[in-house]
Amino acid sequence: MSFWRRNLAAARLAWIQQFEYRFNLFVDAILQPVLTATVEVALWYAMVSGIGDGDSLGGFSRAHYLHYALWAAFVARISANWMYEFRMGEEIQSGTINVILTRPLSFYQFYLSQFMSYKVLTSMLSLTVPAMIASFLIPGPTDLSRLPMACVLILAYLIMAYNISFIVVCGGFHLNRISSITTAKNIAIWCFTGELFPIDLAPPAVKNILLNLPFSAGVYVPVGYITGRCEADLVLRSLLMVLVWAGITGLVGQLLWSFSIKRYSGTGA
Amino acid sequence: MTQTDTNRVSNELAISASDLGRVFQTYKKPEGFKASLAGFFNRQYEYKEALKPTTLDIKRGSIVGLVGANGAGKTTLLKLLSGLIHPTSGSARVLGHEPWRRQESYLRRMGILLGQKNQLWWDISPADSFALLGRIYGITPIDVRSRVMELAEKLQCTEQLNIQLRRLSLGERMKMEIIGSLLHRPEILFLDEPTIGLDIVAQNTIREFLMEYARAERPTIILTSHYMDDIAHLADRLLLISRGAIVYDGTVKGFMARADLKQRLKMRFEDPLSSAVTAGKGEYSIEVGATVADIAVNGNEVSAVLKDILGQTRIAELQIEQTNFEDVIHEFLASESRRR
Repeated sequence: MSFWRRNLAAARLAWIQQFEYRFNLFVDAILQPVLTATVEVALWYAMVSGIGDGDSLGGFSRAHYLHYALWAAFVARISANWMYEFRMGEEIQSGTINVILTRPLSFYQFYLSQFMSYKVLTSMLSLTVPAMIASFLIPGPTDLSRLPMACVLILAYLIMAYNISFIVVCGGFHLNRISSITTAKNIAIWCFTGELFPIDLAPPAVKNILLNLPFSAGVYVPVGYITGRCEADLVLRSLLMVLVWAGITGLVGQLLWSFSIKRYSGTGA
Repeated sequence: MTQTDTNRVSNELAISASDLGRVFQTYKKPEGFKASLAGFFNRQYEYKEALKPTTLDIKRGSIVGLVGANGAGKTTLLKLLSGLIHPTSGSARVLGHEPWRRQESYLRRMGILLGQKNQLWWDISPADSFALLGRIYGITPIDVRSRVMELAEKLQCTEQLNIQLRRLSLGERMKMEIIGSLLHRPEILFLDEPTIGLDIVAQNTIREFLMEYARAERPTIILTSHYMDDIAHLADRLLLISRGAIVYDGTVKGFMARADLKQRLKMRFEDPLSSAVTAGKGEYSIEVGATVADIAVNGNEVSAVLKDILGQTRIAELQIEQTNFEDVIHEFLASESRRR
C-alpha cells in the first residue's frame, strides 16, 4: 500500500511541476512535435510525390508514407527519454540526489513514477494532434482503433528505455559527468527505432536485425501498426521482446545501483 | 557488533559508532593546460582520510554540537550517520540500524536538513512539497496540514506556504526546509548548518524555534554550525573535530572551564610608562614609554597588571573584554590544526 501511495505521490509531482509552467508544457507536448512532424512530413512528401495515386513504393502508397511520417514524429517524442536521463544524471553530479537518499524513497521508483506520469500527460495532449490531422486533414490508412494496443507497446517500451537510462545514470557515480553518453546512446537508439525511415524499407538482412532489437518497439512497430504497415502478431512479438528486455535491463540497473551507491560521496552537502 | 550491543543502542543510545572512517579518492590536478593534458592520459589520484576511525556513543534525546573548520570531517560524519554515504572502515548503529543500508524503517525515523542544499522541490510551493512528503511518510493529509500550520506559526512563515519555493528568500526557504525535515516527527535529526547565510533576526528565530522544539519533542539532534552561538545555545554536548579526528568531547561549559580564558585589556595612560609591564610569564608585555596598550591576560592576572601600571601612572581609559566562546573555539581548533 505504501509502495503505491509513495509512487502515486511522485507521479502527481510530475503533473504539478508541469502545470507550474504552462507555456513550457504547451511547447513540449504540442509545438515541438508539430514542428518536427511538419518537417518530416514535408521531407517525405517531397520523396514520395513521384508516386502516383494508384502506385506504390515497397508495397505502400504515398498516403501510407505521409501518415507514417506524421505519427512517427509524435510517437518518437513520446518514446524519447533524454530529458529525465539528463535530470537524473545531474542529480548525482550535483548532489541533489541527497533529497531522495535521505527519505524513504527509491531513486529508481521515484523517477520511474515521475517519468511515466509525465509521459502519460504529454501523450494525452500530443497524440490528439496526429489523430485530428489523420482524421480531418490528410485522409489515409490510419486506424484509430489500433491506438490502444500501440499505446500498450509504447508504455512497455518506455519502461525498458527508462531502465537503460537508469543503467547510464548509475555510471554517474563513477564518471561524474555522463551527458555525452546520454546523447550518444540516444542517437544510436534513434537510428534503430524507425523514426528516420520505416524499417521495412531497409534491406532484408538489416530489417531482420532491427526487428530483432527491442528498439523498433519505440516507433516502427506501434506507428506501423496504427498506419497499417504491420499487424497485431508483430506487435505482440515486439511486446514480449520489450518486456523481456525491460526485465533484463531492470535487473542490471539494480545490480549496478547496489555497487555504485557505495562510491557516492554525498557531493555538495 | 553483538546482539547485546544492538539492543543497548536501541534502548539507551541513539548512535553507537566504532572505528567509523571514510577515505575519499580525489583526482589531483595541478593547474594549467599542460597539467590538464598530462592528467588526461595519466591521472594522479590522492586519498584523503576525511574521517579517521572514530568511536562514538550518543545518548537518546541529547543535542550534540559538531564543530570544526571547513574540511575537518564534521559533514562526513553527519553523512555517514544519516546513511548518505558508505564508510570505508568501521561500523555504526543509529536507532539500531546500519544507516547506509537505507532501510525504510530507519529513514522514517530520521530527518536531515542540509543548510546548503534545497531538500524541498524547487518548482512547486512548500505546501505542495509537504503534501508530497506526507504521502511519502504515510501521514494523513489532515495531520500534514495541522503539523505544517503548527510549525509554520512557530517559525512565523504561514504567509509563504503557498508561494513557489524558488521565489522565497533564503531565510524563508530555510524555515520551509526545517518544516520539511520535522514533518514526520523524526526521532533523530541531523542539522547541517541550519542558520548558514541568514541574517541575525532569522538566525535567532530558528535558534529559538529549535530550542523550543528540542524541549517539547526531545529528539536526538546532531547539529553542525559555523555560528558558535547556535552551539552554545542548543548543544548539551560538544564534539570538536579537527583534521578528521574528534579532539574534544564534553560539554560546552566544561570546554570553557578547561580553556585558558583570557581577558583583553585596552588602556590609554595619562603619562608614558616608566618601566615595562609583563604578564603571562613574559608572554605579554607593555614596553617602556607606551601611552596605549592592548593585551590579553589570564583572568587571575588582571589585578596584578593594573596594580603594576597604577604604580607608574594614572589610567585615562580602560576597557576589559571577556574572550567569548567563538574566540576560544577558533583558537583551540587553530592550535589543534597546527599540532597535527
